[in-house]
Amino acid sequence: MIRAMRCQILLSLLAAASLFSACSVVRSPESPAPQEPSATQTPPGPGTAQPQPAPPTETPPNPEPPRPPPKQFKLSPATNALVQQAHTQAHTGAFVPAANTLERALRIEPENPLLWIELGQIRLSENNPAQANSMGHKALALATGDPQAQASAWRLVAESLRALNRNDEAAEADKKANALSPR
Amino acid sequence: MARSGSTFRRIFWLSAAVVVLGAGVAATFYVLYLDHLVTKQFEGRRWTLPAQVYAAPLELYAGLALGGTDLEHELQRLQYRRVDKLEHPGTYRLQGARIDVALRPARFADESRPASILSIVANDKAIESVRDSDGKDVPIVRLEPLLIGSIFPIHGEDRIVVTPQDVPPLLPAALTTVEDRKFYTHHGVDPTGIARALWQNVRAGQIEQGGSTLTQQLVKSYFLDPRRTLSRKIREAIMAVSLDAHFSKADLMNAYINEIFLGQDGDRAIHGFGLASQFYFGKPLSELDLSEVALLVAIVRGPTYYDPRRHADRVRLRRDMVLKLMAERGIVKQEDALAAEKRPLGVTTRASGAYYPAYLDFVRRTLRRDYHDQDLTEAGLRIYTSLDPRAQDNAERALERELARLDRLKKSPDSKLEGAVVVTAPQNGDVIAIVGSRNVGYDGFNRALDARRAMGSLVKPFIYLTAFESGRYNAATVVQDAPVSIKLANGTYWKPENFTKQNYGPVPVVHALAESLNDATVAVGLDIGLPKITATLNRFGLDRQPAQVPSMLLGTIDVSPMEVAQLYNGLANGGFRTPLRAVRAVISVDGKPLKAFPLEVTPVASPEVVYEVDRMMEQVMEKGTGRGARSILPANLVVAGKSGTSSDYHDNWFAGFSGSHLAVVWVGYDDNLPTGFTGSSGALPVWARLMAGLGTTSWDAPMPESLAETWIDYGSGLRVDKNCADDNTVPIAVPVGTELPLKPSCAGNSIQSIVERAGEWIRDLMH
Repeated sequence: MIRAMRCQILLSLLAAASLFSACSVVRSPESPAPQEPSATQTPPGPGTAQPQPAPPTETPPNPEPPRPPPKQFKLSPATNALVQQAHTQAHTGAFVPAANTLERALRIEPENPLLWIELGQIRLSENNPAQANSMGHKALALATGDPQAQASAWRLVAESLRALNRNDEAAEADKKANALSPR
Repeated sequence: MARSGSTFRRIFWLSAAVVVLGAGVAATFYVLYLDHLVTKQFEGRRWTLPAQVYAAPLELYAGLALGGTDLEHELQRLQYRRVDKLEHPGTYRLQGARIDVALRPARFADESRPASILSIVANDKAIESVRDSDGKDVPIVRLEPLLIGSIFPIHGEDRIVVTPQDVPPLLPAALTTVEDRKFYTHHGVDPTGIARALWQNVRAGQIEQGGSTLTQQLVKSYFLDPRRTLSRKIREAIMAVSLDAHFSKADLMNAYINEIFLGQDGDRAIHGFGLASQFYFGKPLSELDLSEVALLVAIVRGPTYYDPRRHADRVRLRRDMVLKLMAERGIVKQEDALAAEKRPLGVTTRASGAYYPAYLDFVRRTLRRDYHDQDLTEAGLRIYTSLDPRAQDNAERALERELARLDRLKKSPDSKLEGAVVVTAPQNGDVIAIVGSRNVGYDGFNRALDARRAMGSLVKPFIYLTAFESGRYNAATVVQDAPVSIKLANGTYWKPENFTKQNYGPVPVVHALAESLNDATVAVGLDIGLPKITATLNRFGLDRQPAQVPSMLLGTIDVSPMEVAQLYNGLANGGFRTPLRAVRAVISVDGKPLKAFPLEVTPVASPEVVYEVDRMMEQVMEKGTGRGARSILPANLVVAGKSGTSSDYHDNWFAGFSGSHLAVVWVGYDDNLPTGFTGSSGALPVWARLMAGLGTTSWDAPMPESLAETWIDYGSGLRVDKNCADDNTVPIAVPVGTELPLKPSCAGNSIQSIVERAGEWIRDLMH
């Protein structure tokens, strides 16, 4: 009696196994191995080398692309001091000196989207919306993983497009910004 | 009889008078002519303030990856002296892990800053804190920028113009004592001085004093003429008297201090005490002590004969003689002179004072677009650049060292193998280092800007980028690496081959790029079409139209290393064209900003497509022609790049980037002979050594959200999962949703694992 039951179980297992393996062959492409979680803060200046993502032998593949843990870009004390200085200069209308100060900051943290957004704002003040738009896109590309920063970048893009009289595109950009980080 | 005699005499004296008068008139005109000549020279030079060019200032902040030893080295580069007590600007003191620095007053493009004290604590890897003299934290502070040269009017003559405030009072005193005792009272020439000098030299048995006044020496310097004829000396005497009549003693002394020839450094003639102070002592003129001032005055008589680096004994004797004279005349106290005589010469071993001719050349060219020569060379402009002296030193060392090694390998000791390097910061387009030749101190042919060579395989990433933009290709797309035969317009056939002369059949795109397969690339390129690929190159910064022939796909486009740097900069910074800049700002002599070069970015390719290509270029370094760099680079440093070898090994290129730097290296012969090595063996080691020494960061651009990372087999391009990953598996980035066929053995492995798990379950049941 027990033997028969075991046979039945074995048979149904085999059937299930063949069905399962057949599915895995024709199934749509698997998702990639999960990425290494990114740093939560961009380190100032030349820092230590980052390790490469490990080959996918440890973690099992997921059915959908894993979202990397949310980042939040911040300014280091050094770049923050420069940004404050740039704000002071901009308030007095000294836009070129403000831009120079922000460029100093960008040399320290060239991949911090917040700095590119600041410089883009100065370009708007200098009546250069084309450059402001480009810098918004630059910030956007760097801000992947940080919805707040992405939203700020989209807002800069929207403002620039409005200044260029491309109002439909500007509205699109605003929508994207609000989707990421509602005002 | 007497009658004819007196007529004769009258005629004689009349004609004599006419001759004398005529000679007098001629002489007067001559003197006026000389007067005009010398005055013009003097005024021309007096108002000639060459432009001063500065490197990028070093920014200090807590967290900067600069260890204590390196920080000290940077202070020494700026000629800060180590002392026990901080008393003057230009010094520093070590207190364990803390460095106290007396900063000099500094002028930047955007501010002037007075002298101040700073306390920096650093461990052996990074700065831990920066505080001011009140102990307050300073979030960021920059050291004064290094003076890297001047743009001078007469090619070859370099000088650092000093104003009377920069001149130590001992210097004019020493000069008049030794060279021209009556300088302040004579009128240009000094007959008693000549007599005294003769007497002195006879007594001493050797030439100790010259008879020329300082004014005469100044004139001699203006009209360099090696002939020491009497007529020359008379000319100079007349002109010296002229100068003395027109200009004040103070002006003449200042002109002399800035004019006199004091040494030779390869192609560069060192004029003036300002530059001589840098050249011999590595210090500003105002910081020299008595013995050092005496040394420079000793050199005046003959900088070659009295070269302190070649003839130290001779120079020391003369320096001590100068000191004695100064003591005798009461210029200095006897005991000070004696103490100074005991001091060593103090001359630095190699010519110090930074001199970067290739970079200066680029600066000059940039500015010549907007400024006339006169503005550049006379108006006292201050030019602030992006040069990073540490990166520059690294690049120079890497090139020199590796070229020497290649020479040894080829057993050609005095080879003419040459090279060039350009280093940029990709995000903002700063050019931070330029090396134009392996003999770095010479201002000759600047290969970084002017060597136009076939870019070879360096063009390939742009071909694949264009292919990805079409939507029909990705990194896993299988392409055919098969023999190619193209019929050209003139009826002949073009049959390009791979470097290995072999073909590899169907390979994924990532493999074709990593191994730089010519035939596969040509196939893809012809499919996409030359016009689109040319448009890509133009968007990334190539300012001309290459010949639209199939060989363009293998890089028969002549480019300079700087042009390659502009093109690859866009790949390194996520797809933005950022004009490469060496000059940041130009400031007038009275501090007004004249010209800015603001940061500009223009998107030229989608971040997605650029990221996909960058990930492939990472595989060039992991699996492909760039893997030789791995042994030289720090472990775990992620870089991406491309090798380039033009046909017959004429040109060796390597272009590659990290997280914070892009470097382009070219190696080859000026006369375009084949080198016998590929980009991977010629230029790659230079690049790797340079990158290793820079203290750079890994390339870690964020992956755009519409891409996904996946793993494929390097040979077949089939997708791979965790069950069958092996050494032949490579990661790539493809658009999300891209369907890639799974490698069959992976599927087999899945069945295996399921059966295993089933087996375990059954075994459990049985117990």
